[in-house]
Amino acid sequence: MDQPDFSTFPLARKGRSFEAFAEGQGYQHHWGRTLTDGDNALFCTATCNWNPMHLNTEYARAQGHPDVVINPMLVLCTVIGLSVEDLSEAGGLFLGMEDCIFHRSVHPGDTLTARSTVLEARTSSSRPNAGIVTWHTEAFNQHGELVVDFRRTNLVVRRRRGIEDG
Amino acid sequence: MTFSGLTADSGYFEDFQVGQRMRHYRGATIDEVENNCLSKLVMNTAQAHWNEDSMAGSPLGEGRLVFGLITASVVVGLASQDTAENAVADLGLDKVRFAKPVHHGDTLYSYTEVIAVDEGPGDESGEVRFKHWGVNQHGDVVCELERRVLLKRRRTGTE
Repeated sequence: MDQPDFSTFPLARKGRSFEAFAEGQGYQHHWGRTLTDGDNALFCTATCNWNPMHLNTEYARAQGHPDVVINPMLVLCTVIGLSVEDLSEAGGLFLGMEDCIFHRSVHPGDTLTARSTVLEARTSSSRPNAGIVTWHTEAFNQHGELVVDFRRTNLVVRRRRGIEDG
Repeated sequence: MTFSGLTADSGYFEDFQVGQRMRHYRGATIDEVENNCLSKLVMNTAQAHWNEDSMAGSPLGEGRLVFGLITASVVVGLASQDTAENAVADLGLDKVRFAKPVHHGDTLYSYTEVIAVDEGPGDESGEVRFKHWGVNQHGDVVCELERRVLLKRRRTGTE
């Protein structure tokens, strides 16, 4: 069977290189995510976090919650996940995170959206192919209430010849 | 439904002292479910975590790279029974660092030290700050973080 020459198909590139980030710049991240009981049960069990606050509805209710408390590590991973295409998908190591505060609990059915601001973008003397970018990321529930915020720092690859920013 | 007996009679605020160390009993091997599945579950679009072919010849090591926050989540998970069995809430994380790449097939162990206890204003709970280390099967630290947890006090936690 004939097949087309796939090397001629233009790449629908994703991600941003270091040069695309300027201090103060803001991003409203794509998609949003409703976290469900299933997400939480899968995440908690796969990460060995069997705490009844996260996995036993009646226990969580007896503690004063309307339902199980979604594992905050799942909340954090999801918020970072939503931000990856805008911030770090182009490549570069995840260096660290500071001042992550869980402001309120998340329950099954709650919907998260996320946004970030560039706090700092600087070149790296030891790594000519990458810069170091720090973002402040905030996530909100469907009521517009702040759920979590943190600062994240990554290496971000610098633009290579012939590669444009997505 | 009776709730006493569902959680251990340990892990209350009063049970933690600064300097206390714990080597958590269970380790966990990171593979398809932990990294590939969870990275996509949490919408992490970076294919380095779930496209084996894209990582051929990577300077970070062959094969899919484990998402750092999945590593951190497993390190916290392995520590959770000993540090959050009687928690009121997780308050936050700080100083999260990733020291070495983790790949599929690596096994993580979790180590903890209590670095601060804060009685706080109320008499129902208190805050404990833990430092956690994630260590691989070779004994190398791959991740470290600090974590603040609000814990019940023993006298109000035994209803």
